[in-house]
Amino acid sequence: MGNCLQGLTSSTDGVSLLRGNETPPPSLESQSSSDLQLHASSSSGMAFGPPPPYEESMPMYHPTPNVSRPASQLTEEEQVKIAKRIGLIQHLPTGTYDGCKKNRECVICMVEFMVGDSVRYLPCMHTYHVECIDDWLMRSFTCPSCMEPVESALLSTYEAN
Amino acid sequence: MAGLPRRIIKETQRLMAEPVPGISAVPDEQNARYFHVVVAGPEGSPFEGGVFKLELFLPEEYPMSAPKVRFMTKIYHPNIDKLGRICLDILKDKWSPALQIRTVLLSIQALLSAPNPDDPLANDVAELWKVNEVEAIRNAREWTRTYAMGNI
Repeated sequence: MGNCLQGLTSSTDGVSLLRGNETPPPSLESQSSSDLQLHASSSSGMAFGPPPPYEESMPMYHPTPNVSRPASQLTEEEQVKIAKRIGLIQHLPTGTYDGCKKNRECVICMVEFMVGDSVRYLPCMHTYHVECIDDWLMRSFTCPSCMEPVESALLSTYEAN
Repeated sequence: MAGLPRRIIKETQRLMAEPVPGISAVPDEQNARYFHVVVAGPEGSPFEGGVFKLELFLPEEYPMSAPKVRFMTKIYHPNIDKLGRICLDILKDKWSPALQIRTVLLSIQALLSAPNPDDPLANDVAELWKVNEVEAIRNAREWTRTYAMGNI
């Protein structure tokens, strides 16, 4: 807490936070906005058409949790930080779900674990699908369930051994 | 925008099946990521008796990014500004994908019960809340009567 006033000064969202999101922001989605509306109006219910192609050709990175940028727009410092982060994530143990009754559902995607799913174990022993948790850890190096910083937990594990 | 993620469908179904007491959240007919929310002013707070409308939007990146939530009904509260924006840590830097629509709405309900003038969003309201709490609470009751009763 305590950063809300700072955020306001740079905020451009004006009167409505949410209406702005109904029409996609100009930065990334402007090209597809007319397509989106066509899809949205022609489909009944919940489908909104295929994702725009840039998602496949240009992976997005998150130098800070709420910022998304392609690799070409990262500063050198951010690139180093992200590279280190990728390295640390690779050190976290993975496994396949064995049907253990203790962890039934991945709290990130809210889908039940199936035997054979690839899972990653954090030092606090919380377990998630590899894809789900890696996506989060690239934004914030904390456990979503207990908010434990993963890095310090990793370090204390090394020290203990 | 891709098809609606399973998680959003699941959360919506659970919200419908087991609503949070004092809160209703209904997805928009046109946009399943947009929810019409109504929160009853908590008992014992200056907002008691009021009915507050909010809008909640799940961004494309949800649950990696927090939902965007805003009060539509005017409210006199030190952590909510005149545009309805809410100063709540879990909507900003303390967001975690283990949180849900349900937990966000419960936190907002709790914020109405426990205003925090030391972490203000509406400066003038927070100032009065600190120097003259009695008058601030009177204002909050007055605004509740004026804007949050008979408004739905």
